[in-house]
Amino acid sequence: MTPAPERPAPQPFWNPYIAGVALGLVLLSSFLIMGKGLGASGGVNRVAIAAVDAVAPAHVDAAPYLARVKAGGTHPLDSYFVFEVLGVLLGGAVSAYAAGRLRTEVVMGPRATTGKRLAFALIGGVIMGVAARLARGCTSGQALTGGALLSSGSWIFMLAVFAGGYGLAWFVRRQWT
Amino acid sequence: MSSEFDLVIAVGLGFFFGFVLERAGFGRSTKLAGQFYGHDMTVFKVMFGAIVTAMLGLVVASGLGLVSFRAVAESAASTTYLWPMLIGGLLLGVGFIVSGYCPGTSLVSAASGHIDGLFTIVGVGLGSLLFGELYPRLEGFYLSGDIGHQFLFDLVGVPPAVLAVGVALMAAGCFLGAEVLERVWTRKRFGTVPAVIETRPRRLVFTSFAVAGALGLATLLAPPAAPEVGAVATWEPIEADQLARRLLDEPWKVWVLDVRDRTDYEAERIPGSEHRAFDELDTFGLQYSPGVKDLVLVTRGGLSSLPPAAAAYKGQVYVLEGGFPSWQGFALETPPVLTSQDSPSRCAAVQFQVAVHRMVTGSEAPPPPPPATAKFVAPPKKKGGGCDG
Repeated sequence: MTPAPERPAPQPFWNPYIAGVALGLVLLSSFLIMGKGLGASGGVNRVAIAAVDAVAPAHVDAAPYLARVKAGGTHPLDSYFVFEVLGVLLGGAVSAYAAGRLRTEVVMGPRATTGKRLAFALIGGVIMGVAARLARGCTSGQALTGGALLSSGSWIFMLAVFAGGYGLAWFVRRQWT
Repeated sequence: MSSEFDLVIAVGLGFFFGFVLERAGFGRSTKLAGQFYGHDMTVFKVMFGAIVTAMLGLVVASGLGLVSFRAVAESAASTTYLWPMLIGGLLLGVGFIVSGYCPGTSLVSAASGHIDGLFTIVGVGLGSLLFGELYPRLEGFYLSGDIGHQFLFDLVGVPPAVLAVGVALMAAGCFLGAEVLERVWTRKRFGTVPAVIETRPRRLVFTSFAVAGALGLATLLAPPAAPEVGAVATWEPIEADQLARRLLDEPWKVWVLDVRDRTDYEAERIPGSEHRAFDELDTFGLQYSPGVKDLVLVTRGGLSSLPPAAAAYKGQVYVLEGGFPSWQGFALETPPVLTSQDSPSRCAAVQFQVAVHRMVTGSEAPPPPPPATAKFVAPPKKKGGGCDG
């Protein structure tokens, strides 16, 4: 039996400046073609509501903010940004596969443990879910899109994101360094 | 509701969005978190680089007359709600460093097979549901600090192109500063010097920014096409249902100006309309408006000729056919009941009217069901044979 072939080393990441310009061109295309920016949390929000709606539709109807996404009888998933999120998943998977980076793992810092890392990933996600609804967008819809359009609120949001991250970084340093 | 073609575009744009994020290394939490410990400024460079690219690109496209920067900004950026955006940003930053992702990058991470990214997506979904549950308590704060569409170039008082070039210059300075910080922190944390960074891509990107910025500024110098005197005074009638459709489909393209008496406007009005009394129109400066949106005038009845102030408006002018009463008949009064003899096109029209009526009046009563078109009778019972049960 021949030994299993060694996994080839994954391709290096793109140069950050080149990646930035590429991302900017995607955003620019979105502006020019659709008159819209990019988004992520809004689509996830709708998928989450659709999941609850499938199990307990009465519960969704009772919560005014949740019921908004099905106003006028539309299905929660019948939305531009749900399909955009689908595209993000596809694009990410294709890119990772082509670069030899598609593999099941838990990405964590050298001192972190798997259980704690996953708990942090979940808790951080919950905090961001609340934050993104409160701010009407996340780093994609608010910081990136609104930032490029020079919206005042988006720039306040963007500076606040970095402030929040740097402010707490010291307390969770064991996770990452 | 979106058209199917839009949804295909959505998947396509999302694909490239996800692809680029993965290529930048944003599927790995350790790389993203490096931003907050100083030794890896990739997040900052990619994000700011993308912002500058899209911004300058839009400035150039706007300068060439393909689109209007302001029109795109008003349609694609949300209005500014100061306090929830500030607190939401701080919270999102906290969630970012705790989870190692932002909502968009968690999608890419999970798509590359990373379990932690998947956990973060689930968290984001749960968090947004939690917000929905808490919304009745948070509503006051959620709606606080509303200052409408507020743009930095208006605050500074310069054309978007000028501010965009300023932001690009600031970004270039910050990029160079970020690289100094990277070197300092890498030495401090790992005792090594970072691998020699290729300077060619950076030079290339900086040069492109400079060219795009110069092009954007150059278009400002070209004199704007002078409006032809007396040639624009045309207007078109618009029906109430067409107006409702446009208000739903592209609210950023229409500007509804109600010129009835103030008391009438206060009593009942088209959602989103602004008021300016008919005889005050001349002092309103309509001729100086950029004319990006289509102006829709709402009068008390009809209108025989356009007032000169509205005729000087640079964009397209519409007058609501029949004035406000036609809107009232369309959207505020109880819509007609469908019968089985109605044609499909009439059914669609009335259903749309019902939807608008419900939206505008807030009436939740469902429209009466159409009468049954056919009768069903029980099939005759089969006799004999015992095998078909």
